[in-house]
Amino acid sequence: MSTEAIAVEKPKRNYNVLFGLTLLALLVLLWILLSVATTSFASANNIANLLRQGSMIAIMAVGQTFVIITGGIDLSVGAVVGFATVVVAMMINAGFPIWLAILVTLLVGVAIGMFHGFGIVKMGLPPFIITLATLTSLRGIGLLMTNGNSININSDTFTAFSRNSFIGIPNLFWMVILVGIPAYIFLHHSRWGRYLFSVGSNAEASRLSGVNVQRTIYMAYTLSGLCAAFVGVLLAARIGIGNPTQAEGWELQAIASSVIGGTSLFGAVGSVHGPLLGAFILATINNGANLLNVNSFWQRIITGALIIIIVYFDGLRRRGK
Amino acid sequence: MTSTAQELHPAPVLEPGRTILELRGLEKRYPGTHALKPVDLAFKSGEIHAIVGENGAGKSTLIKLLTGVMPRTSGEIAWEGQPAALATPHEAMALGINAVHQEVVLCRHLTVAANMFLGEENSRFGILQQRAMVRQAQTIIDDLGFDLPAHVTLGDLTIGQQQLIAAARATVRGTKFLIFDEPTAYLTRKEADQLFTLIRRLKGEGVTIIYISHRMEEVFELADRVSVLRDGTLVGTRNIAETNDAELVKMMINRSIEQVYHKEHFTPGAAIIEARNLSGKGFENVSMTVRAGEIVGLYGLIGAGRSEFVTTLYGRHRKSAGQILWEGKEVQVNSEHDAIKLGMALAPESRRDQGLCLNLPVGFNLNLPIYKRISNNLLISSAQEKAQADRQIADLRIKTPTRGALASSLSGGNQQKIVIGKWLAHGAKLFIFDEPTVGVDVGTKAEIYRLFGALLSKGAGIILISSYLPEVYELADTLHVFRRGKLVATHGFHAASHEDILTQALAEKQEKLGGQI
Repeated sequence: MSTEAIAVEKPKRNYNVLFGLTLLALLVLLWILLSVATTSFASANNIANLLRQGSMIAIMAVGQTFVIITGGIDLSVGAVVGFATVVVAMMINAGFPIWLAILVTLLVGVAIGMFHGFGIVKMGLPPFIITLATLTSLRGIGLLMTNGNSININSDTFTAFSRNSFIGIPNLFWMVILVGIPAYIFLHHSRWGRYLFSVGSNAEASRLSGVNVQRTIYMAYTLSGLCAAFVGVLLAARIGIGNPTQAEGWELQAIASSVIGGTSLFGAVGSVHGPLLGAFILATINNGANLLNVNSFWQRIITGALIIIIVYFDGLRRRGK
Repeated sequence: MTSTAQELHPAPVLEPGRTILELRGLEKRYPGTHALKPVDLAFKSGEIHAIVGENGAGKSTLIKLLTGVMPRTSGEIAWEGQPAALATPHEAMALGINAVHQEVVLCRHLTVAANMFLGEENSRFGILQQRAMVRQAQTIIDDLGFDLPAHVTLGDLTIGQQQLIAAARATVRGTKFLIFDEPTAYLTRKEADQLFTLIRRLKGEGVTIIYISHRMEEVFELADRVSVLRDGTLVGTRNIAETNDAELVKMMINRSIEQVYHKEHFTPGAAIIEARNLSGKGFENVSMTVRAGEIVGLYGLIGAGRSEFVTTLYGRHRKSAGQILWEGKEVQVNSEHDAIKLGMALAPESRRDQGLCLNLPVGFNLNLPIYKRISNNLLISSAQEKAQADRQIADLRIKTPTRGALASSLSGGNQQKIVIGKWLAHGAKLFIFDEPTVGVDVGTKAEIYRLFGALLSKGAGIILISSYLPEVYELADTLHVFRRGKLVATHGFHAASHEDILTQALAEKQEKLGGQI
């Protein structure tokens, strides 16, 4: 090898930033197109609505991304959201203070995540299997608890939160920022974040380098469960009911957002800003399709096509250097 | 051109000594790199042609061009006098060019027989003739003299045995030109001997063998001619009878052989670690001490218990009996984490599986053990992260464009430097190097050995595991010989002959193949 070879490869360091900017450009482009094509898209009402729609998937996608970076998957998040709406609704209706109801719900999310960690680390189950099992059982437990009925939440303070705005921006979107900033610092500027990547890349090498691999896996699933439970609280506030069948299929939307945002399902590649942008791109497409009177069946097809296209181009660029 | 898919064995005997493949001005450029400068070389049928050179000298590039994995930039390749495009692997295989790679690229979950016939399955009316295939495969394996069953799952065999299967597989496909890339890196001596027998037999059938290896003694044992590559240039080709070790090394690195094994002697200090009658999975009743400033070498066959012993010291496996003393005090090492906290560092045997996060940046890999130190309770200091990585890259002369390049993009020797380098900043007292120079070129070897000296001078102790006798022989102050899980002999520096040590490691002449793992 000569010194010549050293100059060969361009540093790939800014790849994440670049990819993020491309996604941002795509999002802005969609917004411009929709503003021109429809009269109602650019209205304050619609934008607020769009932000609310995207926010919840965005928060789930962040937790999901932590898990995917370790090379795993969390299929339970949609069910956790539904279950959390039940827990928070029952506690509020039982007269507990709202803060306590929220806290307990979040702890339930943590406990579910810990259980996933236990299943993977101690029982040696594949993440796909243990979280799939939770997905179906949690819905069942929720249905048992509610007898299959919806619970109407009798606290206006609680439900008002998700309808209100703060300095013109919906509260729900503020929650994305509340989750996103610590998540960003955690993933990109703390050693725990580094360990998520190293475990996803090579668990054995990480272990031999002194990384506590088991704890890292526990942490990823716990954070995913926590994010999902938090979304459950937000959803309960938004629709004013607790219902275990809510958020059907949201786990797939969260995974899709994450993947569109550049997360590799093989692990060790991902960011926080990517999934956030991915979630809002999906929300924009759904919102725009509604405004354009596109059949809602088509929305699903478009989402699928988009996943293929974005991941394909991302793969091309990674390989193409 | 023969496309004898169903015909199994043997390839037609070719007229020996005829030129089968000729390269004229063969050249490969990547954007910004001249990986292979114009090469003129003719390979004859029935010869074993060794190719040696440092990592990054252009050997892999040459193989990739010959096997059609990559297109050439310019130049011509003539196959039996006719120009050949060699644009796809398929075309190369159709001509009869095959390669056996260092890392086995077969399906671990399929049976040996299924792997042998992969892509050329024997079927009748679309139904696989499984029993017939196992029978045929067994015939081939027996015929080659490998004592292996054809019906077992490939992954159940040792790496060395898998390598033999990969070689057997390549021989049954009308191969006329077979490339071996570092085939013995993971083989025991006996397996290597079986492979050499196979190679000589193919040569007898007129097959051209390209043999790539870092092990000089193998080159001299096997080859008829040897070509040396350096920095993408063909430095020269020699008849093996007319050259020697020293000349080849000089051609490869422009440096003499004495400078490779660079041994500094220090007066040993206090004991760092002591194992007392330690037993565990794969070894029993092993006692030894490592003192500050000394290299303790562990020699033995692969699977003799050396790796198991050190991984137990390192907390990867539980000990079943005995004591571990760290600086004179008994300690319990229950996890790697405990070991690292005490001050141990392990550079494991397989950099791909155990040593590196390949799809993460170089800097990340270098800093992995010390993230705790370069961050406060919450945040990593990015200034320190960059400074530490850059310092290691500079100190170890790791050839990488930046600390942000992915570890997978570096050559083997440079990857090995990362595996070792990540422990330097950590400030460990005991360094365990398990086969640190497998698949590493002479130049990098010399750099790694010099690094040992630097560590010793700072008062560290080193455990060096190697299956390559000259390495432990020239470097270790104390040399322990392992055989079948037991420590069978201990020697001081240069206190025993190569022959004695080898005999102690082998003992019984016919060890059961594969029974060692």
